[in-house]
Amino acid sequence: MPVGINELVDQLRTAIVQIDPSGRIVLRNSAAERLRSSHSGYLIEEAIERQLERALAGTDSEETLEFFGPPKQVVVVHTSPLPGGGAVALADDISERRRLDAMRTDFVANISHELKTPVGAMAVLADALLGEDDQETTQRLIGRMVFEAERAARTIDDLLQLTEIELGTEIATIPLDAVSLMQAAAERVRHSARERSVEVHLSESAEPTTVVGEPRQLASAIGNLVENAVKYSEEGGRVDLSISDDGDSVAFTVSDEGVGIPQREIERIFERFYRVDKARSRGTGGTGLGLAIVRHVATNHGGSVEVMSVEGEGSTFVLRIPNSQPVDPPEDASRAEQEVQTT
Amino acid sequence: MGELRAGFHGDLEEIRDAIVRLGATVIDLIPRVTAVLLEQDLEGAEYVILGDADVDTRATSIEERALSLLALQAPVAGDLRQVATALKISSEMERSADLCCNICKAARRIYGHELDPKLRGIIQKLSDQAQAEYRQALDAYAAVDAVRAAALPDIDSFLDDLHRQFIQQILESHAAGSIDLQVAVQLALVGRFYERLGDHSVNLANKVCYIATGWLPEHESRRSTEAADSNER
Repeated sequence: MPVGINELVDQLRTAIVQIDPSGRIVLRNSAAERLRSSHSGYLIEEAIERQLERALAGTDSEETLEFFGPPKQVVVVHTSPLPGGGAVALADDISERRRLDAMRTDFVANISHELKTPVGAMAVLADALLGEDDQETTQRLIGRMVFEAERAARTIDDLLQLTEIELGTEIATIPLDAVSLMQAAAERVRHSARERSVEVHLSESAEPTTVVGEPRQLASAIGNLVENAVKYSEEGGRVDLSISDDGDSVAFTVSDEGVGIPQREIERIFERFYRVDKARSRGTGGTGLGLAIVRHVATNHGGSVEVMSVEGEGSTFVLRIPNSQPVDPPEDASRAEQEVQTT
Repeated sequence: MGELRAGFHGDLEEIRDAIVRLGATVIDLIPRVTAVLLEQDLEGAEYVILGDADVDTRATSIEERALSLLALQAPVAGDLRQVATALKISSEMERSADLCCNICKAARRIYGHELDPKLRGIIQKLSDQAQAEYRQALDAYAAVDAVRAAALPDIDSFLDDLHRQFIQQILESHAAGSIDLQVAVQLALVGRFYERLGDHSVNLANKVCYIATGWLPEHESRRSTEAADSNER
């Protein structure tokens, strides 16, 4: 049996309101009805009414509404007069499109910055070396060149690793000892933690737990979380590591008492090269790819990564790896971002 | 006559819708002005302050429509309570939007001064809590839900605690030299503005209880005063 036009219109995500020449509502689809379930919906409804009045006077119009939420929302309300009299309004939620646009634009800007800065610095340093006779200055300039070269190499290494993980190839999972993975990550940051008097504490209750995963990817993801926790801790701070198994999944929890992440930035921290405090994070020597790697590792394993953070109090990251994993990794990497839960 | 009352109830619905929309504007303003403050967004501050005139106009329009209904329709009982509270609620909301503007003005005054993460964290919490309370109160109003509204005074005590924590943190940050006296004073005012936003949501919730039951907390205190007076006599 063919579906009626009203049923079809009700299936659309776009809110549609049609009025007759007297201003009486003759059609309001389900999406428009649902507007009254949120505070932003009331304001969208108000904008629709405002725009429809203009459309009745014969003018097309468009208004973009941006709501702070949470969640952040961007809605475009478009109205047009109808040939037979009356007018129609369409309200489209373009939040996801806006987010992806911002992500794409920032990525291009950030990658060129991350790669051009060390290369540019090396060019300037090499130029300075050309006319330099003083042995001490030469040594200093060479030292800086090595530093910049290593920085570029780190970024490229991380990019290659991320690309490999994103492709989802070579994911041969085996049972691994979760506590050993966490201990290895803690061991890797031991030196930098000691330098900054940050205490890294693995919970005593971490009993032998088996996690099924790809060893290199899991080591990289947990390592990145622990490294970040130490980097962003204040001197004398504490980083807590714990492991739990609820039967469905193994959770690796990394908590710090550091600076925390501003609420508005949380949804973007898993993007490649996205940095919350650009000056500070570049100063810590990171490549800006660590959390993107964590997110993709989680996705490849059919798991998730969650973050809870309060500025001035610290952050907690939880990497969950399910005990039963999908045979193939998800194809659409962008879906992974939706799985990242923030609070 | 029936048609006349139908028109009256339509007008009453329109007033209620206008109030809900004004409240939704305040709910959106709270995180917006917090972002202005934390991100030192002067352009955003200007946008909010200029937009306040529109909020004032909408609040005045609600009052005029409510007064017109009172004069022309002589509502009684629950209808009368709805119209009478519309007059009060619109001014609560208009005042709430003013408080949001005040936060923007404070953001301008402390422009260029860095806030330490602890202060920023508590400001974010104050904002989240004030917004959650306002949302709760507005939802209660939209659904005329006296039970939900009655919980607001208790929920608001959390915002009061946060306010106290914030003042304590301001003193600590000032003592540690991370903020100067001028910034400390402005931040103390900002804390007060969030706390007042919570008070306005409690007032809104009280009005919801009044619409639904005809009872206001003020009635309780009046009864106590009258009882004390009669005892003295």
